[in-house]
Amino acid sequence: MRAFPYQRLPGVVSLRVTSVELRGPDDIRDPLDTSAFSAIEQVVAPGSTGRDDWEWLRMKVSATVPGRATAPDSPWTDLAVVVVLSEGATNTRISTALTPGAENGRKWEGQLDLWRADHLDRATMSVHVVATVDGVAGREIAASAKDWIIDLKAEAPLRERELEVVEVGFREGPQWLRRFQEVPWAVDTSGDLPVVHINKDFEGVSDLVGGNGTSVDNMVRDLLIAQMCTDVWTAVFHTAIGDLEIEDDGTPLFPRDWRGEVLREMLPDVVPDLPVEDALSEVHRRRTGTSGWTDLQPRIHYAATRRGDVPKALSATIRGLDSIHRGADA
Amino acid sequence: MRLDPGMDFGPWLARQLKQSGMSQADLAQRVGMTRAAVSAWITGRATPREETIHKIAEALGTDLGTIHTRTADTLAGLPISWYHRPGHADGGREFGNAAAFAFEADVGVLAREATQNSLDERLDLAQPVRVRYTLHELSGEALARFRDEIRWDDLLPHYEAAAQQDQKVGRMIAGGLSDMYDRDRLVLLRIDDYNASGLTGDDYETGRFAAVVRRQLDSQKSVSGAGGSYGLGKATLWATSRLGLVLMNSTLSEPHEGRTERRLVGRLDLPWRKVDGKPWAGPAWFGRPDPDAEDVNVARSWWADEESVERLHLTRESAEPGTSFLIVGAHDVASLVEGTDTDADVEDDDSVHRMHHRLKDALGRNFWAAMTGGGKQRPLLEASVRTLRNGVEIIPETRVDPRETQPSRTRALQAFLDGTTVDRMTETGQVAMATVPLMVPAPAGHGNAVEHRAVVLVTEAEDGDDGKPNRVTTMRGNRMTVKIGWVPGLPVGTNPFQAVLLAGRAAGEDAPFADEAEAFLRASEPPEHDKWGQTEELRMLYSPSAYRRIGALTNQANKAVRELVALPKKSRKGGPERLRKRLSVGGRKTARPTPPAGPPTLEELDARIDDSGAWCVTAEMKIPAGGDSWRPAPVAKLDVRSGPRPVLAWSELVAVHNCEVVDGTIRFAPGARTATFRGTTDVTTHPVRAQFSGLVVELRTDKGAQA
Repeated sequence: MRAFPYQRLPGVVSLRVTSVELRGPDDIRDPLDTSAFSAIEQVVAPGSTGRDDWEWLRMKVSATVPGRATAPDSPWTDLAVVVVLSEGATNTRISTALTPGAENGRKWEGQLDLWRADHLDRATMSVHVVATVDGVAGREIAASAKDWIIDLKAEAPLRERELEVVEVGFREGPQWLRRFQEVPWAVDTSGDLPVVHINKDFEGVSDLVGGNGTSVDNMVRDLLIAQMCTDVWTAVFHTAIGDLEIEDDGTPLFPRDWRGEVLREMLPDVVPDLPVEDALSEVHRRRTGTSGWTDLQPRIHYAATRRGDVPKALSATIRGLDSIHRGADA
Repeated sequence: MRLDPGMDFGPWLARQLKQSGMSQADLAQRVGMTRAAVSAWITGRATPREETIHKIAEALGTDLGTIHTRTADTLAGLPISWYHRPGHADGGREFGNAAAFAFEADVGVLAREATQNSLDERLDLAQPVRVRYTLHELSGEALARFRDEIRWDDLLPHYEAAAQQDQKVGRMIAGGLSDMYDRDRLVLLRIDDYNASGLTGDDYETGRFAAVVRRQLDSQKSVSGAGGSYGLGKATLWATSRLGLVLMNSTLSEPHEGRTERRLVGRLDLPWRKVDGKPWAGPAWFGRPDPDAEDVNVARSWWADEESVERLHLTRESAEPGTSFLIVGAHDVASLVEGTDTDADVEDDDSVHRMHHRLKDALGRNFWAAMTGGGKQRPLLEASVRTLRNGVEIIPETRVDPRETQPSRTRALQAFLDGTTVDRMTETGQVAMATVPLMVPAPAGHGNAVEHRAVVLVTEAEDGDDGKPNRVTTMRGNRMTVKIGWVPGLPVGTNPFQAVLLAGRAAGEDAPFADEAEAFLRASEPPEHDKWGQTEELRMLYSPSAYRRIGALTNQANKAVRELVALPKKSRKGGPERLRKRLSVGGRKTARPTPPAGPPTLEELDARIDDSGAWCVTAEMKIPAGGDSWRPAPVAKLDVRSGPRPVLAWSELVAVHNCEVVDGTIRFAPGARTATFRGTTDVTTHPVRAQFSGLVVELRTDKGAQA
């Protein structure tokens, strides 16, 4: 739980993007459709238009602040509402102060520019209410709970990201894949996002995974996909747990990118009965400590199997085979 | 205030004689004149002298003022009374009004139907029709006075006979009577409209008056784009009254019998009953016995004076044409359902309050579009609701504002009327417009179908919206919500929106074949006006398969909405789709039940900075059942925005309640469910002064710390 040495503003502070305009060479101004930024997902996807020549974009944003902030008897003075856009990967940080709009000081409006060259992947945007409290200027008295994401790569405004799946011939492909030429797939977790490489040189695997055939074909396909998913989740979990930031007292922090999401989704299966923060400490302790890491492997395998939906695929296959046999016997 | 000049003397005198059952000869004898002289007054060939007028007043039992103004009838002759329709000669019995059974007795339905009728009777088409709902709860003295005024003692035997019948209507009346007698209260619901036609026409011949007062299922509509077409709506007035009683006061748009103001009549709908050994067919009318009628007891409307209108709670605020309906004993089945049976006998003070809000909601929900104006168009309707108790206002009159209840839909329609719609939305708050085709078949298969273009409007949903987002509200020329449908197949993350489909005349002046579409859609609307689909009328007027055109319109509209709000389908990336779908991170939240004996959690944190600059915290912990074996270690850290948080050491950590502190960990008393500790941080371990940062206190519960 948190405590602050000054009075903070209770209530919900929310932020929303009201319009986005792409700017580019020759004074191009291309407003995005509202469907390119989702208020539900809180994601802006400038890539959804398909145009790639934009250099910067201007967003109009509005923030809603509890009415108490501007009440005449409030303990806060010099109130400012600031939108901060940042991206950890590039260490970019832009802040813009909003100006009070309608609704008795509850609504604050402004605009924010984002330069494409300053960003790599996903920038986050949050709103902070800053005021002078007890004579100390510039204290944050409230902030939005959920960040907006400006996803420069996505084609749709969704928080969820799909891992990349690439079909490539391993025999003639990148150097590091050539050594894997006899396996049907390989997982690479070193990039921004994990990539699943499907070996095109492995005869028939592409068709099987991507195709639609007889009921037997489909059962085998679903089982295979479940197996691939299990492999992928096992690999990404190990990657995610392997590189954590640690606090002074040894508490590991959740990574901010996909690694954090993977951990949050899988840890409850790896270490049940514990809140995810404690589960992370526990797994980290076992991995870096002297004992316990080996004992944890079945749990990780279990979590990956569940995440890959193996039980569902397998029981469907068994049932399907059963009915085929019965049909053949009859 | 005498706004209407009154009748000419001749016709007025003839009327008074007829009503009092006095012949011309009788009057002549009483005033000492010849019969020919009286005849001359009546035909207007002569006027009586002042002293003769005195004698006429005496003979008629009225005062000089009434004779001079002639705006009201004398009280002479037969008094205002109830006329009950005698039982049918063939012995047939009706135990209720079929039209009333078509509706729930619900003020929401009433508001919808009655307001719709007012809209259809709009007089000056350049001005809105104004509708006012007044709830008035009477008790005690005020209730007794009102009962006297409606000759309650004459009605009571009929009510008691009706209430004894074990039929639906009988039970309802019994409930109404016990509500009035046991709880000494009666709710009057008055519906006034202004700038409407009023109940014009003869008492018996075809016209608005007879359609409402005398007839059932007579749809007397003055406009072809009218909302109703079944004449059912008015039945909701009687259905809303537990006593089946409605009084009316109308100001006519066209004079009848030389008058326009204060035409009064009452109608009672009771089932067949036997009173004093005589069978009665059902309905009864409250009015002046009509000497012209075959049965001298038949009651007709009368022209009342201001005082008696006031006593009947029927005073209208101005001489503007329109009608006031007073529903006596109004009730609301829907709000009764909301209450539970257990408090049915407790006095429910809120029921008029609840009805007030339900009326307001229903008006806002059904008529937001009719109440919206824009461009050159004024709204079609203004509505308000107020509530009184024994003449004292308890909820002041509030105008129903569509921008309050339906901000986004109202904005959409307004933008359409103003002509400020856009083709694609690039900013929140904009309204996008598209048109979709409706193929209107030719009536009865003669000729070819024509293409009407209906209008689809889409705008972002507001938080204040009543109802769910991502819906299409459908309406035609009368701008009444016909249905609200959900749009299927929207992708995840679609911004919440509201859409409006305007068809028929609602689609604007330029829309092709609007009249044809309007007639077609009206035929496809059932009596409840709550959908478009197959109806008997549609089958007869068009063809058995004509309803499919409506399904096509709905599909087209949904498609247009999806195109306006959703991104086009993503271009396929490489790799098998099926596999990629299964490999996504983030956004997925799978709920897992929290384990029963989880670790203890911090419940309450009270922190302050002491004089030495150290944080002093008092923390209360909640321990789940069976969780007392945990040995959590409290940790204090400074709150920073990113990166590792600096840990502060404790200079003091003491147990306060239900626990002890051993080596920096907390041991709970066995079976404890809450525990409290107090701690002070060590100032020397603070990287910055305590004033400058927030504090985070956590309970570290490593697996190893559990005993």
